[in-house]
Amino acid sequence: MEEPKKPMGWKELYLKEDWWAIYLGLGIVFAAILFFYTGNPFLKSLSVLPPSWTDSSKLIEHFSSQIGWYALQFIFWFIIFAISTRILGFRQSEYIPSFIFLYILSILTFIIGEYEPLSKNGFEAPLVALILGLAISNLIKLPKWMDAGFRVEYYIKTGIVLLGATLPFTLIIWAGPIAFMQATIISVVTCLTIYFVAHKLFGLDKRFGAVLGVGAAICGVSAAIAVGGAVKAKKEHVSITIALVTVWAIVMIFFIPYFSRFLNLHPAPVGAWVGSSEFADAAGFAAAVAYGKMVGNEEAAVRAFTLMKVIGRDIWLGIWSFAFALIACLKWEKEECETPPRASEIWWRFPKFVLGFFIASVVITVIASQYSLAEFDKVIKPELVKPIKSLRSWAFIFCFLSIGLTTRFRELASAGKKPFWAFTIGVIVNVILGFVLSVWVMGNFWISKTAQ
Amino acid sequence: MTCRDCRYFNNNPAFLERELPGLNALSSAYGSTSGENGICSKRDIYLSPVTRCKDFESGENKQ
Repeated sequence: MEEPKKPMGWKELYLKEDWWAIYLGLGIVFAAILFFYTGNPFLKSLSVLPPSWTDSSKLIEHFSSQIGWYALQFIFWFIIFAISTRILGFRQSEYIPSFIFLYILSILTFIIGEYEPLSKNGFEAPLVALILGLAISNLIKLPKWMDAGFRVEYYIKTGIVLLGATLPFTLIIWAGPIAFMQATIISVVTCLTIYFVAHKLFGLDKRFGAVLGVGAAICGVSAAIAVGGAVKAKKEHVSITIALVTVWAIVMIFFIPYFSRFLNLHPAPVGAWVGSSEFADAAGFAAAVAYGKMVGNEEAAVRAFTLMKVIGRDIWLGIWSFAFALIACLKWEKEECETPPRASEIWWRFPKFVLGFFIASVVITVIASQYSLAEFDKVIKPELVKPIKSLRSWAFIFCFLSIGLTTRFRELASAGKKPFWAFTIGVIVNVILGFVLSVWVMGNFWISKTAQ
Repeated sequence: MTCRDCRYFNNNPAFLERELPGLNALSSAYGSTSGENGICSKRDIYLSPVTRCKDFESGENKQ
């Protein structure tokens, strides 16, 4: 008799990109610590970034003197990503040319985004990356196999682990519970709004209502596919939710930063707003970084965003998924459900890269606690934190470009009026509630906490 | 035996990203949150492989 196949289990340690993001992110953090304590400037030089410029001679001079370091940096990313994607199952004949293209495009994006007349008018590197990526994928048809190198999630997860090294763990402890409460209020209201509009008002299938609801309420496409699997949604309904989340996420990347700039808002509440109202980590980081750069305080926007999105929303996905699996099994399909879902699913669905984010934050916080504030600013920031931040900027640009390069509007599923309006009503509720709570109710809290 | 052993079930990440357009734009089939979910080609549903149904047929998925 044929043996049943075994679940993936701990094989996910090398078969899921979350773990590779942890290995890469923490590898960089520990290498930075080693180079810091030995006084070796290697990582500082390797983390080179194109500078702000107006005069092209400055740019030419920079590249002529740093070309060797760019080549080494490329080799560094290339080796790590090539090995890990090979193990994940990607064809290297597809990944390698695609990543070379992505790296060259990233340099071009930085050059455009650092051109001062553009950056002072709100066209910073994150938005340039998105616009460039969207233009290429929608106007010029790149071969589909090139998606192998445009790994949005792998790059953003690596960037988030690196971000942990710049976020004090004490801030996570103090502000995390508030972020969780605020995010949960918004998530529950949004999810219930969409579910009731979709199912009760428009008569759509309950499972479809649930997938649409979590797509807007928790973490976009990742939530839609986690809960979609838990409730056995129709494949077509998952595709429609992916399309709606993607379109609205792209709209919000531009709407929230420019609307906030129009109102001249502080970047911390805007980061919290993006964290509670954007639909995906990658899109949210693009919006938060873009606004932070627009107003010259990237850290405040990114810190508030991370607390709200990663701590307040992402890490609870397993619980949402388990809860919907229980509802589906015990209420929606009582006759068909032979085995109720197991609570261990909460762990297997947990976004593991968050563990790397926590570890990076704890490690750097412990090191920083041994220095005075003045020493921290003079020694730790430029010698230890800056190289990590620069490599984080690269990971983010790979991600933002990849969002644009993989978002082909013509390929997305057509939604139909009812799903579109159910989701859109939820988006409106979510955005207004997120604005009110982040800016009006909790605005001062976010400003004070992210200033630490 | 569960969906994992069924010939209609496929949870290969590359296959899922082909079948669900836009999945890789803001998420991924290679992430922890997607678990081992896959597509049942018999019933055209997206599901977790911890269950089975009356359409179960043992065998390898060839897609």
